[in-house]
Amino acid sequence: MNPQNKEQAEIKIAVKNLNFFYGDKQALFDNTLDIVANKATAFIGPSGCGKSTHIRCYNRMFNLYKGHRGEGEILFDGQNILNPDVPELELRHRVGMIFQKPTPFPMTVYDNIAYGLKLHGNYSGSELDGRVEKALQDGALWNEVKDSLHKPGTALSGGQQQRLCIARAIAVQPEVILMDEPCSALDPIATSKIEELIDELKKKFTIVIVTHSMQQAARVSDFTAYFYLGKLMEYGDTNAIFTSPQRQETEDYITGRFG
Amino acid sequence: MSTASPSKSGFTSDQVFRFLTSAFAAFIAILFIVMLSVLWHESQPSIDKFGFSFLTSSAWNPVTNEYGALIAIVGTLLTTTVAMAIALPISLGIALFLAEISPYWMRRPVGTAIELLAAIPSIVYGMWGLFVIVPIMASSIEPWMYEHLSFIPLFSSPPLGIGILTAGLVLALMVIPFIAAITRDVFLMCPQNLKEAAYGLGATKWEVVRDVMIPYGIKGIVGGVFLGLGRALGETMAVTFVIGNAYHLSWSLLAPGNSIASTLANEFTEADGELYTSSLIELGLVLFLITFIVLSLAQFWLHTSNKKRGG
Amino acid sequence: MFQSRVARRQWMNQMVLILSTGAAILGIIMLVWILGDVTVRGFQAVNWNFFTELPVPPGELGGGLANAIVGTLLMTVFAALIAVPVGVMAGTYLSEFGQHNLFGNLVRSLSDILVSAPSIVVGVFVYLVMVKTTGHFSGWAGAISLAILMLPVVIRTTEEMLRMVPSEMREAALALGAPYWKVMVYVVFRAAKDGLITGIMLAIARVAGETAPLLFTAMNSPYWMESMNEPMANLTVTLFNYAMSPYDDWQQLAWGAAFVITASVLLVTITTRLILTGRSKH
Repeated sequence: MNPQNKEQAEIKIAVKNLNFFYGDKQALFDNTLDIVANKATAFIGPSGCGKSTHIRCYNRMFNLYKGHRGEGEILFDGQNILNPDVPELELRHRVGMIFQKPTPFPMTVYDNIAYGLKLHGNYSGSELDGRVEKALQDGALWNEVKDSLHKPGTALSGGQQQRLCIARAIAVQPEVILMDEPCSALDPIATSKIEELIDELKKKFTIVIVTHSMQQAARVSDFTAYFYLGKLMEYGDTNAIFTSPQRQETEDYITGRFG
Repeated sequence: MSTASPSKSGFTSDQVFRFLTSAFAAFIAILFIVMLSVLWHESQPSIDKFGFSFLTSSAWNPVTNEYGALIAIVGTLLTTTVAMAIALPISLGIALFLAEISPYWMRRPVGTAIELLAAIPSIVYGMWGLFVIVPIMASSIEPWMYEHLSFIPLFSSPPLGIGILTAGLVLALMVIPFIAAITRDVFLMCPQNLKEAAYGLGATKWEVVRDVMIPYGIKGIVGGVFLGLGRALGETMAVTFVIGNAYHLSWSLLAPGNSIASTLANEFTEADGELYTSSLIELGLVLFLITFIVLSLAQFWLHTSNKKRGG
Repeated sequence: MFQSRVARRQWMNQMVLILSTGAAILGIIMLVWILGDVTVRGFQAVNWNFFTELPVPPGELGGGLANAIVGTLLMTVFAALIAVPVGVMAGTYLSEFGQHNLFGNLVRSLSDILVSAPSIVVGVFVYLVMVKTTGHFSGWAGAISLAILMLPVVIRTTEEMLRMVPSEMREAALALGAPYWKVMVYVVFRAAKDGLITGIMLAIARVAGETAPLLFTAMNSPYWMESMNEPMANLTVTLFNYAMSPYDDWQQLAWGAAFVITASVLLVTITTRLILTGRSKH
């Protein structure tokens, strides 16, 4: 399924016939869609519909668990990343991920950001300082933490922790950022800050965000995909989906008659 | 009528309850103080006679009635060091294997086996060491060390099978399941999403363990290691069987020696004369203080590091 | 550059995983070896006489360790009877009243230190206060030594288990107007029962295998005990004496004793675990 008016858009990830299995149980059925570069794409749908499962295929996170397997093709710049020959570490270098709950590592704010940088390259101390500052600025956190860089990351507030995780992800300059319900543990003010940030980030990165909030999808995304029971029901321009959904199920979900 | 209202004595039942429990809690503090003072009091003849030199003298001679703790202290510290040097990497390896590497079907049975091994009484380890490990050490391992490594002072005495090295090895076997079980539990407590976040940045399994799981659980791991260390320092039976019970100071791990606990086990009931007995009691006091200091340092470290990391 | 860096990190990863697996295999082999030896050699020494006869001098046939088995059981039971009530009360204080005050922290730290206190020093202490003063070794002295070793374990277990009971449950009961001690007895202890019993059984299993604190307190005896007020035979000290003796048949009996101690300690540990997991499934 393709978003409308994508003619001139660059396709970052092309998913073809993605099927996913937890052991014997199939969780995704023939998902096919294209993710457009430098746009925000929202995945919506009721709990258990497979939207999180779907994005966890983009960085092969499912590989951590026994019996989880994906079949089909996920072409990332033309390369099928489900192919085991594609090195996982490099893939995850190129695809960042943000989780439901903030996940600051048990180290200082500075080290949280520097961590990914140190994994993937050699930097001198001043280079590292510069990149950490840049990442925190891009994560809209610098002004709040510049005086407490050497305090533990866990000492920040929930919203700050989540922005710390975003800054940590963008520090290594990925191409795609996956966000798995990034605001579900945050209060409305922290949520709006993250949403503003997403708006800013999509200038540089391709963003895929899973959310259970229709309003959030409408606010932050350019394209929206509606999942139900592991199937991709409808996919298209966010305005179009929210104003004139093609399918009855989508309309029911969006208008709150269901889910 | 409410039971919480004052009874004839003027106290509510809850006040009595609180007072009773706190009295029992005070009991352990009193016990601790009484233990220290009794040991201190009964060590007086030895403390009066030898003073501080008790700690630095390597004499231990019931015939001339001269006693010093140095050999036993060195033996205690050496066996413990050897034991921890062997036990630490192996227990961390086992914990890592059980928490992250092994196939899922192995985790429960092997984990339970490790926990059960931690429950085996130390005297069984000691006896097994005497009858099984000592012959192997005497016939193959120690002769090889002596032949090839004797230029290092640590391996410079003739192999006997019994001695500091064997005692350290048996001690290590005793504390491995203990430390491994605790560390495994700590690893398992690390939240899955934290690990996923590190994997998501492109970290390898080892990097996730080193940079996320160990720092996350460092409090529990260090706590477990120190508990193991405390056990090793004060362990009697695993050591007494195999340490050799000899009184000469040597750098060699192959030489027989004595630890504080093994000295007490061997000599306390047979000691005659006030000074002899009192020297042995002072030895016990020294052991008590060593473990006390080690464990207090651990607690102190845990509290301060806790504040620093804000955890 | 990028390639070689990734390659180096992955090589390091592989090395650690291999070393860790190796350590696990090595550790497990050693430990299976111990259990195997104790079972095989011990099983050969255990027969009917082992459980029913008194020890005999080396060279004579047919001796057993009946008195030592009974002695160990007696002292362990008395130790538990002393340590469990005291420990549960003190643990209750730590969990309910002493979470954040100085006295609570002091008692908690002291308990943690005493958990790892050298057991032989406890033996020396009890010798000084109970054996030296009365002039004779006794089963009571042995039981007290074991009780002192059990006490801090019971305290900390009790505290942990009571804290696991959610405070909402206490509040709900208090809101009904019950006094605190009744809430504890009828609600909190009941909720924590399984954990408490497990913790206490494990503490008992642990002291049942102790040797060092008995060496100078209960000592040992080749006879049946008439009372707790005399030197008392027990399995662990007998094991120690027999294993260190030069006689083959005594060493054989020592293996038997090792087997019986290990088997009973493991049996208690496994049974409590099974009961607990069986319950938690319902």
